[in-house]
Amino acid sequence: MSSVTIRGVKKKYGSMPVLHGIDLDIRDQEFVVLVGPSGCGKSTLLRMIAGLETVSSGDILIGDRVINDVPAKSRDIAMVFQNYALYPHMTVYENMSFSLRLRREAKEMIDRKVREAADILNLGKFLERSPRQLSGGQRQRVAMGRALVRDAQVFLFDEPLSNLDAKLRVVMRTEIKALHQRLKTTSVYVTHDQIEAMTMADRIVVMNAGRIEQIGTPLQLYDTPANLFVADFIGSPSMNVIRGVLGGDGDGAFVALPDGARLPVPGLASGRTGQQVVFGVRPEHTALAADHTGVAVEVEVVEPTGANIQVYTKLAATPFCAIFTERHDFQPGQTIRLHFPQDKIHLFDAETGQRL
Amino acid sequence: MTMSKLTRSVLYWLLLSPLVVVILFPFGVMFVTAVRPRDELFVYPPTWGFSDFRWENFSEMWVKTNFGGALMNSLYVSISATAIALLLSIPAAYAMSRYRFAGKGAYRIFLLMTQMMSPIVLVLGLFRLMMSLGLVNDLNSLVITYAAFNMAFTIWMLQSYFNSIPRDLEEAAWMDGASHLTSLVRIFLPLAVPAMVVTAIFTFINSWNEFVLALTMMRSSDDFTLPVQIYAQVAGRYQVEWHHVMAGTVLATVPVAIVFSWLQRYLIRGMALGAVK
Repeated sequence: MSSVTIRGVKKKYGSMPVLHGIDLDIRDQEFVVLVGPSGCGKSTLLRMIAGLETVSSGDILIGDRVINDVPAKSRDIAMVFQNYALYPHMTVYENMSFSLRLRREAKEMIDRKVREAADILNLGKFLERSPRQLSGGQRQRVAMGRALVRDAQVFLFDEPLSNLDAKLRVVMRTEIKALHQRLKTTSVYVTHDQIEAMTMADRIVVMNAGRIEQIGTPLQLYDTPANLFVADFIGSPSMNVIRGVLGGDGDGAFVALPDGARLPVPGLASGRTGQQVVFGVRPEHTALAADHTGVAVEVEVVEPTGANIQVYTKLAATPFCAIFTERHDFQPGQTIRLHFPQDKIHLFDAETGQRL
Repeated sequence: MTMSKLTRSVLYWLLLSPLVVVILFPFGVMFVTAVRPRDELFVYPPTWGFSDFRWENFSEMWVKTNFGGALMNSLYVSISATAIALLLSIPAAYAMSRYRFAGKGAYRIFLLMTQMMSPIVLVLGLFRLMMSLGLVNDLNSLVITYAAFNMAFTIWMLQSYFNSIPRDLEEAAWMDGASHLTSLVRIFLPLAVPAMVVTAIFTFINSWNEFVLALTMMRSSDDFTLPVQIYAQVAGRYQVEWHHVMAGTVLATVPVAIVFSWLQRYLIRGMALGAVK
């Protein structure tokens, strides 16, 4: 087990820059998730840590050893691939023992380790099967088992759950997290699914267009997104964002919406009166207001999920979603009044997108 | 309206029958001629029947035409050419499939262009080349040229199959601690066996059937390959022993045809796998 340090790492394909200088410290035993839309460079960064892509400039360190020029086979890193990459001509046992056999470990030792890993992953019955006789979830487990037997310093996961169906994905998510709690191997996990990131990570790294947008614990990102991108990316359904102008009068600060409505906000923060801003509030942080208070909106679509009710409306001609955990019998066309708790409001500069 | 399965089968066979006749007719003549007694070779009008079924024609032919020697020559040339072509094209196809380098597209086109040139155009040049190398009358001249002529095809074929083997598998092997060579030998090549079988079959059959170059390069009858040896039973003779010629042709073609049809399941699988992706 070991820490991973990334210092000013850049990647170019020909003259096309893909990563524009990444700095990241992954602590020993930490579970870090790299998350971002496709094409943001997260997989490239992971493959650079693995040694499958060259580093254009900057340094990658495992512990305090620079590994830029160390070939993948000598980095002592285990990786789980998106499509599992199981060797199709080998049995599960052979797949899992491949790395140990390469190292010419003693037969009994290999056998013990493979069976241990198989026990942890419930693969005992399948050791003699070939990968094509396994279901998606079982293949996924074999891929994990192959990483597990190695006692590697770092585990890398490249979207390992994206080929599984929704239900299995939730199960495997928990299994991977439990496994990490048990083994405590430093792990870097790449996904485009923010729910996976939120549920599994000790810390999340949100990436976009080859840059890091924000690093933090799941709740830090949820509570205080550093910019509009993170605000929009983390949380499902996404945060409601409405453009407006910051203002203030005797009653306090407010954001004036294009249709004239005023949404009270807590103080001016670092903003100034007359500044173009983006007002943000999460759907789950909206509440029903008493008569004659809050803002009036017209219900367009109601989606009960059982656990809550999602209401789609428009606020100042911008689509707006509200989620209520209490049961209401809303009808399309009905007018309701919404209220936003002051401590749940996010303000961003409209130009830079940065949090105010 | 749907036809019954039987009606459809009959109809399709009727449609196919002209083709079947055209293909089987020469084989029929060949076989019937090969087993008939010598004095029934030129009856008029020609018949399919014969008075005596003579397997002895084959053993007589074997001795008289030095069939065994030519067979060994053919086997030596075809097997060696196939082995060399495969050994050289596997690394080439691997490089083409896995690495990016300047001129890769041009190289692929170049390979394709060489296929448009008939070997016969090159015969004169090749003969002079082999003269200067001292390889005329040496079976190895055929080994080299056959391997060379087939490599464009084998590289092309192997490359398209290699492209269909996921790169992740090799990367996984590297992460597991394998060197490039180890991952190639233990992961990649075992998965490429179907493609290698297909290309081997093609190269073998091309070499086995090749005539013009063999006729040009081989001057002494001891070094004749089967096609040349059989041709030699016909060309420039006062009396052609047709039943022996045909017996030789049967022996030269039928075993290969049987092996080929047995291996064709690999062929179809390999081709489809290479093509679809």
